[in-house]
Amino acid sequence: MATITAQLTVNSDITDYGLAINKTMTMSKAGSTTGLERTSGVQRVLLTSLNHIDLIKGGLAGSTVADMTVTGDTAGKVYIKYLEDDTAKFVRIGLGNAADGTTQTANNGDQTFFEIGRLYGNEWMIIPWNGASNVGDITVQPSSASVTDGAAIVEYIVFFE
Amino acid sequence: MATTTAAITLTSTDLLTDALSLSATNTLYKAGTTIGLDQTTGMAKAYLTATTVVDIFPQLIEGSIAFENKSSWVYICNKSEDETEYITVKICENVIGKLYAGDFLWMPWSMRESENANNHHGDITVAPSVATGMWLEWTCINEGTEYPTENLATA
Repeated sequence: MATITAQLTVNSDITDYGLAINKTMTMSKAGSTTGLERTSGVQRVLLTSLNHIDLIKGGLAGSTVADMTVTGDTAGKVYIKYLEDDTAKFVRIGLGNAADGTTQTANNGDQTFFEIGRLYGNEWMIIPWNGASNVGDITVQPSSASVTDGAAIVEYIVFFE
Repeated sequence: MATTTAAITLTSTDLLTDALSLSATNTLYKAGTTIGLDQTTGMAKAYLTATTVVDIFPQLIEGSIAFENKSSWVYICNKSEDETEYITVKICENVIGKLYAGDFLWMPWSMRESENANNHHGDITVAPSVATGMWLEWTCINEGTEYPTENLATA
């Protein structure tokens, strides 16, 4: 069993009273206090076109992460960062299956795509991930400006059961 | 202009042969700019006593998303201390994952409207695994929120 911790710190003067978050989580397997013990390792992906792709595929088939045996309904965690100094550039992060293209849909039950949010230059995120096959794929698509310099670089790491 | 910074540190001394230590920090800006985010819903703290799926940012106006594709950041934390208790987090009915006791998420949110003509948009929802009561916290820091107008309808 491994011990993996994530510490989030957010500080802001957005209100007169400020806003502060200081939270540490220890990543455990679903419903237990046993730590997660598998990881993709830190991955770095160069996106050299504007194509919408599966960054991390749920399930086994075609996984971009070698030996990743993610199954649904687990306590996996995903960290993603867009390595870019230009804050005008972004990557779209979505749930679903990139093979459907970039059409925005309501529900990825049919393995289509829904945009979660956009990571602009130097931004990062950490989310839980159920890793369900296809409907739980995490997709990425760089903005048009992102590839003019050659490549958009996305870094990620998955922790899973 | 407000200044909001977010930092994450991921560490483990025994997951791999060598220690893992990964850190990142960024300032939250309005989309495509270097102007700081200046609005927030404030930090909500709630005790949910049903397993019902609830929309945690209900102030979004259905079918009129003035802030779609703007910069919004969402924090959600499951404050439960029982490791078997979790919340299922969804966006527009799509499961992102489960937050077990003590887990949190920090993610951007595009507030994307779906292509369905049902005034449906990218609601972020949570559903507790138990009805015996769970404490949660959440907040959204963003460029703005389009608030509903006064509802004068009577029963």
